[in-house]
Amino acid sequence: MNAQYASLLIALPLISAFFVPLIKGLGNKAIKYYLAIVTAVQTGIAAWVFHQVYTTGDPIIVVAGGWKPPVGINLYFGHFAALFVLIVAVVSFLMAVFNFKAINVEPVDKYAMLFLLLMLGATGMIATGDLFNLFVFMEITSISAYALTAYNKTGEAAEASLKYIILGGIGSSFFLIGVALIYGATGTLNMAHLAQLAPYIDPKVVQVGLALIIFGLAVEAELFPLNAWAPDAYQAAPHPITVMFSAFVVKAGLYAMARILYLFASATGWENVTKLLVIMATLTVVVAEFSALRQKDVKRMVAYSSISQIGLIAVAFALGTQSGVDAGVFHMVNHAIVKALLFLTVGYVGITLGETKIEKFSGLGRRMPLTAFAITVGSLAAVGIPLFNIFWSKVRILLAGVEAGYTWSVALILGASVVEAVYYLRLIHTMWFTEAEGEAIKEDLAIGTIAIFLVLLVLFIGIYPNYFWTVSQKAGEDIFRVIDYVKNVPLMGVGA
Amino acid sequence: MLKRALAIITLLIIGYWLAQGLAGVPFGEDKMVVGKYYLEHVKEDTGAVNAVTAIVVNYRGFDTLGEVTVLFIASTGVGALLWRKKKKRTAKTEGSLVLTTGAELLFPFVVLFGTYIFIHGHLTPGGGFPGGATIATAFLLLYMAFVTYEIPHRAFEKTEGLAGIGYVLVGLIGLAIGGYFLYDWIWQTWGWGHDNIGRLFSGGFIPIIYTLIGIKVGTELSGIIDNMLKEGVSE
Repeated sequence: MNAQYASLLIALPLISAFFVPLIKGLGNKAIKYYLAIVTAVQTGIAAWVFHQVYTTGDPIIVVAGGWKPPVGINLYFGHFAALFVLIVAVVSFLMAVFNFKAINVEPVDKYAMLFLLLMLGATGMIATGDLFNLFVFMEITSISAYALTAYNKTGEAAEASLKYIILGGIGSSFFLIGVALIYGATGTLNMAHLAQLAPYIDPKVVQVGLALIIFGLAVEAELFPLNAWAPDAYQAAPHPITVMFSAFVVKAGLYAMARILYLFASATGWENVTKLLVIMATLTVVVAEFSALRQKDVKRMVAYSSISQIGLIAVAFALGTQSGVDAGVFHMVNHAIVKALLFLTVGYVGITLGETKIEKFSGLGRRMPLTAFAITVGSLAAVGIPLFNIFWSKVRILLAGVEAGYTWSVALILGASVVEAVYYLRLIHTMWFTEAEGEAIKEDLAIGTIAIFLVLLVLFIGIYPNYFWTVSQKAGEDIFRVIDYVKNVPLMGVGA
Repeated sequence: MLKRALAIITLLIIGYWLAQGLAGVPFGEDKMVVGKYYLEHVKEDTGAVNAVTAIVVNYRGFDTLGEVTVLFIASTGVGALLWRKKKKRTAKTEGSLVLTTGAELLFPFVVLFGTYIFIHGHLTPGGGFPGGATIATAFLLLYMAFVTYEIPHRAFEKTEGLAGIGYVLVGLIGLAIGGYFLYDWIWQTWGWGHDNIGRLFSGGFIPIIYTLIGIKVGTELSGIIDNMLKEGVSE
């Protein structure tokens, strides 16, 4: 099959989103089924791309319009993009199933369009090989995220969304200024071409441009001073959307940051930017963990925990070593699974019991045993207990940190992990060892199946980490080894 | 006072830092690495005389597809957030006779000019986005002049969706015929309009896509206006 068909990963969600107004009259149920079918097809295509890339070992380069880069725009499905596009599609499909239970607020047709476009934006951000195209996809992701955050139409949702819009708007303007500076200095926007030209750019321009771009992406990637919107948005958004935020929207921002960072690795003054990033990321971990400790609302607590894990990934990416990047990618995969599990089950509790205050969780082990069990596994995994998946990636990140000479950062992260253990154990204790009030509740079959699937995945990676570790290593090489990346993109040799 | 002073100082530092960066960008020098290629090849590559629209729709058409999507999200988002079961216009003051008559007379001219802009995207400055915005202005004119005017929603929503589908379909036909998504099959495979450069029927698929974008943007912005001007009424 023609490898260019991988562009269907972009075309399918787009055309399906445009199609929703035409089937609006069929009713809400039909729209939800439609959403499930589209995401299932998307998963199929993503699985094909994943299979193709990992069996041949060569990336798939999609050339839009047949114009060779840097004249045209190319998509780059390397090991990383193939892996994450698959994760995006699978999580979207699972959430499309979750939608049946979770989404009853009108208008469902608009929700379906925004849902598909959020998936499209994240896919595009991960796949693109062009700096300005990255901006466009980032806008698609963030604008649909703004709308979806406020979707519940409560006062608190509107406030969260407004915070997010303002911060996101400022962030993307900074990103755009950074792109303009880099374009002014090099005359090209293609990432591979930029990597070639990086050593010859004026170091001042690289530093300012790169810092602006990182600053702009940090809003999406939830790094410390710029992540104030995140806990509010996570809490106020509809439950499936929260899962998508934490499982892949943030990851897309993080990946874009790492990709751009390593493109300029050969430029002078690069180390200053990575040092700044390590400081920001470590602060993210510490601040988020301590904030999580004080939360009374479980969804908000998990949100803070998610942010701290994101900080951990950012530390790994900013180390500037191969082992760090590999460990970061591994942690991204694990975190996507664990946080999808946690937000799904906590969201399910929120739907059945009305809210996610910690009091509602007392005695949950007797009332909803399956859900409580899934939350327990998710919590233990998030803390990083051996035999669960995050243990492996966390250990690798910490080792890579020590290896790269950032011992202070590792020490702070370890300290913060103790805090993480405290609040998760408190949650587990509340669920299993306090008195229940109210009857046992019959649990939903579909959501139970998804939860069990994710639990098994957590345990499987925890016990046999090797397969996923090799996959992550390959994906990490894709980011770190820019020379290979440049070699793979068929540049036209314009103006060189 | 202290807050304001601190803000000004921070802004000055950021401004200085940005200026330092800008000083390293060689303005006015030959930095047209990719730009030169566009200028030299635009006519035989795309058949368009307008280099900007050729880049926007043809060379970097992927970005434009994204921008169309951004606008679509904006209108969908506004629609989702302002959704009420029943909505009505609650304007109170009737416009003067001069205003209503003037708006009625102007409406077809504005629409005609908007259409002109997006059809001639490959020849004259403009294209789908300005053309669509002009058309939406015409509807805004009607909304402002008349107390009860409403666009036909159902038709507009469906047209908007169809125009978007049309754009992606043109791209997918390119994938089927030329092997690449968004491949300009009309110009490069069919060779249609090669002897006609600079005339209306040239420019490959640029006029087709710009017509679709014009329709889409026009209906979308009108929809946003409509959503924002109406208020929910209790039943």
